Amino acid sequence: MPAWSYLASPATFYGFAGRLAPWFFALAAVLGAAGLYLGLFVAPTDAQQGEVYRVIFIHVPAAWMSMFLYFVMACYGGVSLTFNTRLAAMMARSIAPTGAMFTFVSLWTGSFWGRPTWGTYWVWDARLTSELVLLFLYFGFIALANAFEDPRRGDRAAALLALIGLVNLPIIYFSVQWWNTLHQGSSVNLRGTTMHKTMLAGMLLMAFSFWMYSIGTALTRVRAVIIERERRTHWVRGLAGARA
Amino acid sequence: MSHEFYLWMSYGATAIAVAAEVVLLRVRRAQALARVEEEKDLEAQD
Repeated sequence: MPAWSYLASPATFYGFAGRLAPWFFALAAVLGAAGLYLGLFVAPTDAQQGEVYRVIFIHVPAAWMSMFLYFVMACYGGVSLTFNTRLAAMMARSIAPTGAMFTFVSLWTGSFWGRPTWGTYWVWDARLTSELVLLFLYFGFIALANAFEDPRRGDRAAALLALIGLVNLPIIYFSVQWWNTLHQGSSVNLRGTTMHKTMLAGMLLMAFSFWMYSIGTALTRVRAVIIERERRTHWVRGLAGARA
Repeated sequence: MSHEFYLWMSYGATAIAVAAEVVLLRVRRAQALARVEEEKDLEAQD
């Protein structure tokens, strides 16, 4: 039996996720500590913005994760719709709260960076507005997934919303090119970067830390979702009995 | 306001959000297992 097929069973994946999650959390802590050390103590002060630019070490990685997690969530949604797999739908549900959290962090830190640099906490510019729409898409996904008595109907409705919402990702990414925005353009892209190498290293370490954290939380949350959804099966009942 | 205020508000809120999510994850799993226990007890009573 191929590994992916073996792991597609919620019962098998429950144990697998439980073994892996602590490692991802540990990796997130180590990378986060290194990223914060580089970002807060080693990276030089910005010539124009002074010390306040250090918000970048959480703002940009959080914004990247908000879009990346949405993409992964929509992919799981698409797989669950196409192949009618239970675990893919459970994974999509497990990613959504962390994605919403990073979207909120991105908006929050952005507003506390915007105030000293732009003179305002909020402006209805294309980048900020499309990121806010992403937060509402996450909220919509979570609400829709839990709005039905039959969880499988909730899975299908939420997956459809996630797929439709994918159109917002290129809008967020290219908004600074398509429209005249107050938000600056990308400092890092496939062609290179305009950042100092220590700043870039700190930011990438934080991005990897957030990534590992997201995997850890998704694996931990999916275990709870599996218990909720499979609670009438013998193996889950045995699990609860073993803990009692 | 000094730059420290904006940095603390950003880093502090992120730390609170992450800590809250980790706590909620533990609570959700505990609640899910408690519900299984509850249903088992109810069935045993029947």
